[in-house]
Amino acid sequence: MTVAPRPDGPDKIAGRTIFGTDLEVPGMLWGALVLSPVAHGRIRSLDLTSARAHPGVVAIASDDVPGLVEHRMGDPERPPFPREEVTYRHQPIAAVAAPSRALAREAARAVRVEVDPLPIAGDLDELFPEWPSSRIEDPSRVAAHVHARKGEVERAFHEAETVVAETYRTAGIHQVALEPHACVAEVRDGVWRVQSSTQSPFGAREDTASILGIPETSIVVDGTWVGGGFGGKGAALLEPYALLLARASGRPVRLALSYAEEFRLGRSTLPSVIRMETAVTAGEIVARRVRLLLDVGTSLPGRDFATGYAIGFLLGPYRTPSFEVEGYAVRTNKPPLGPHRAPFAPQATFAVESHLESVAREVGVDPVEFKARHLWRQGDRTPFGQRVTPFGLPAALERARATATRWRQAAPARHGVGVAVGFWSTSTGAGGEARLCLSPTELTIIEGEREIGSGSVLIGLSQVASRRTGLPIERVRVEYRDSSRAPYDAGVFGSRTVGALGRAVDEAAVALLRTLGERLSAPGPATLEVRDGEIVAVHGTTRRPVSEIWTEEEARVGGIAAEGKHYGKSGEIDEHLVRDGTFYAFTDFTGAAHVAEVAVDPETGSVRVVRYAAFHDAGVVIDLPSARAQVEGGVAMGLGTALTEESIWSDDARLLNAGLLDYRIPTLGEVPPIEIEFVEGFPGAGPFGAKGLGEPPIIPVPATIASAVRDACGAHVTELPLSPERVARGLKLV
Amino acid sequence: MAPFAVVAPASPDEAIAELRAAGPGEAVVLAGGTDLLFDLEDSRVGPRRVVSLRRLPWRTLDWNGPSLTIGSTLPLRAIETDPEVRRRIPGLYAAVRAVGSVALRHQATLGGNLGRSAPASDLIPILLVLDAEVDLLGPSGERRIDVDRFVLGSRRTALAPGELIRSIRIPEARPSAYLWQRVRPFHDISHMAVAVAFSAARSAWRVAVSGFPPRPLLVPEAEEALGGPEPGPEAVARAADALAAHAPIVADRRASEAYRRQLVRPLLQRAVQAIRAGSGGR
Repeated sequence: MTVAPRPDGPDKIAGRTIFGTDLEVPGMLWGALVLSPVAHGRIRSLDLTSARAHPGVVAIASDDVPGLVEHRMGDPERPPFPREEVTYRHQPIAAVAAPSRALAREAARAVRVEVDPLPIAGDLDELFPEWPSSRIEDPSRVAAHVHARKGEVERAFHEAETVVAETYRTAGIHQVALEPHACVAEVRDGVWRVQSSTQSPFGAREDTASILGIPETSIVVDGTWVGGGFGGKGAALLEPYALLLARASGRPVRLALSYAEEFRLGRSTLPSVIRMETAVTAGEIVARRVRLLLDVGTSLPGRDFATGYAIGFLLGPYRTPSFEVEGYAVRTNKPPLGPHRAPFAPQATFAVESHLESVAREVGVDPVEFKARHLWRQGDRTPFGQRVTPFGLPAALERARATATRWRQAAPARHGVGVAVGFWSTSTGAGGEARLCLSPTELTIIEGEREIGSGSVLIGLSQVASRRTGLPIERVRVEYRDSSRAPYDAGVFGSRTVGALGRAVDEAAVALLRTLGERLSAPGPATLEVRDGEIVAVHGTTRRPVSEIWTEEEARVGGIAAEGKHYGKSGEIDEHLVRDGTFYAFTDFTGAAHVAEVAVDPETGSVRVVRYAAFHDAGVVIDLPSARAQVEGGVAMGLGTALTEESIWSDDARLLNAGLLDYRIPTLGEVPPIEIEFVEGFPGAGPFGAKGLGEPPIIPVPATIASAVRDACGAHVTELPLSPERVARGLKLV
Repeated sequence: MAPFAVVAPASPDEAIAELRAAGPGEAVVLAGGTDLLFDLEDSRVGPRRVVSLRRLPWRTLDWNGPSLTIGSTLPLRAIETDPEVRRRIPGLYAAVRAVGSVALRHQATLGGNLGRSAPASDLIPILLVLDAEVDLLGPSGERRIDVDRFVLGSRRTALAPGELIRSIRIPEARPSAYLWQRVRPFHDISHMAVAVAFSAARSAWRVAVSGFPPRPLLVPEAEEALGGPEPGPEAVARAADALAAHAPIVADRRASEAYRRQLVRPLLQRAVQAIRAGSGGR
């Protein structure tokens, strides 16, 4: 494997890269949003007159949309602006555009909004104080309900030797991409065009079409360089407003969030309460009961897949003969829930791993041994009846166990060593297409995704093409095109870029090699190599330069083309187990076992992470430096989820820490040395047996840290994050 | 953020004249800007004029026998890297190191920290236990005032209209320490902190707490409980009790009252230990 230099590296390091938030185009206006002053209320009046009185200012709200979008055919549940009711604080009510940023802000302030307050649903515990001991009777707050069961759960609990029941809580967290959301829109000749910092140009196009009520074919989304996404830039956010302002003004309009706005109206995750009950007989889990309350904020009815997906992770990767799971997506007056790297899996894993550690301690078995005994192995069935495909987690856990034993022997007083596992289903299922173009000097991958930072697009896809064709990676180039000219792809999310779009690239490469084989009149596909600076197609002893075998037409357009697509399929679950709602099958089984050594201050509750080790099943690793970087970044980010990151909401659903002063991500000073190892031999559904690795590294981190804290000082903390104060409470200091 | 003018007067007199020329609340003073800029960005202050002190000759650090005078616009990093500060006033060194990050300390100033008077200031408590004084320069001349009397409350000081902090004078280098507790060890705000110093000249301890509103303050009951120059474990425990009993600790979103009270004892004990060991903190 060649170590590939990052083509985007020099410009990013030197500050030359133009990210979405850096974009300015000639003649553009500056946009600003008018935001709801309350979390819930009825709009009594909205007056744009004073804003429009400023010279050069355009101001729009709900009433203006029909005039801007003729024959609107959008989703009635997703209007760009609310007409009657606001349902979260800082919900955009109107938008303005002006010749300068200062004037735009002034005009936004000049918009007069009168809102009659309505009762605010803020906090899960306040809404359902008796849960989980009593059922939820008020259906008006429930955006989605999922329920499934298998076997005689009550009897199993009744007859079990040991039952352990615990409640866990997790805080909402924000993605904290370095670059806030930003876009520049322009509407000309019936084309609605927006340059946007997005993880998914095609997804943003689809969302924007639905919100504005115009056909997707009229919209072009052109992805800019992305300063981090982490799930927060997967759906449209600012694009519809910017496009409406551009349409209203006839000028390009830039709309970008400040960092405080990013916290307030970006799509962050929200709090949860998790009830875990486990029945054990003779050291074996006989039944589990898992219940979840998930705050989904201002959720739209029928759109919640969060709960059904999240709950799949609450049973953990463990054999479970009988179970009952029930989840409620609870609507509150917070902004809509959004995905964050491995949505809800770090939180679910924290709960299930901590809980099973409690269970193991209760029955007197070493927690790692207890987990290893119950872990799925290839060929097993998940609780929902899905067959487990090659799965390296048991092997990873054995490596983790050996490391933990070694570290524990050397650990000084007040130090503790923790172990936890996490699993993930990488989204190789979502669709993607790629086009290749081979010239005498290079192979170009034409696709519609911007590199969002991990290297999965620029390096991951190139490595796939390089590996398949035999060309050195320096001869492979990725060419980005906007959504009107690129092959379709679902987006850079769900750890799917290499796994799914990579499959499309691989298929295109296979098709290309087959074409070349035919041109060589060989009995099978060719491979590629470089001779005297020129790319040569090879089969056996036959060798011909590309320049000799391309057609005149190919020479004219610049190369020999090939196409590939991959629309993968997930596995299947036993639908007979489902009582209500939707549960989701996994598409691939990936996992990691992590080890942490921490030092806990017994008087203050402060936790210092001393060292960390991560053992990952990533299938076949396509690019080792990128894979290691993903694990390092995921662990560092997970340390924030584990120890410091937390959105703090007031009773009236106001975000109290909308900034990096009181929303604390780890600094480099808190990231310990990280040992990384990939367990091999468990191929996945991606190209060459690759599995996705964008999300798995963050998943076990909070559970691992909690396990290490418990080992260090006995404090069993059941709420994320493990802030010093929560650990101090666990130590009974407070 | 509404438009404003930035002026950088070349002399203290011009700076004072600039402040006087502006109406009440119309001008703000800019030193390092690491705190002020957030208020400007979020429109918590809306000045018409920002008076920058960057051209004033106040980036000074002068030792004079036992006393140290620090110019108000000297970046904190210069205090931190002065070997004499570290050796002779270890608590000041530790407190300066507690502020933000190295990059931020290249910009932030002692005068700015004092003038902005944040409830969780890491520098005011150590200045309190060092009995530091503030030299002010204003329309009616110079005056000197104790830090304890200069700091009035959260974001409130005794600065009169048109007045500037010229320098901060620490009359006596003392064995001292500054211990803090936070969620994140660096680049964070202390939600509880204890500063301790021992004055050989007066044979007396000074103890201050910080991290909660409205302002950092001295706790004489704890000082008395520590007693003589070599307090034993019991004296330290009594002092911690006195500190927990007399410090007006309150809760805010950064920490509960109960947790803050719990923190008082280990922070005070560690501060006294640090002084014995000749270090300024952790």
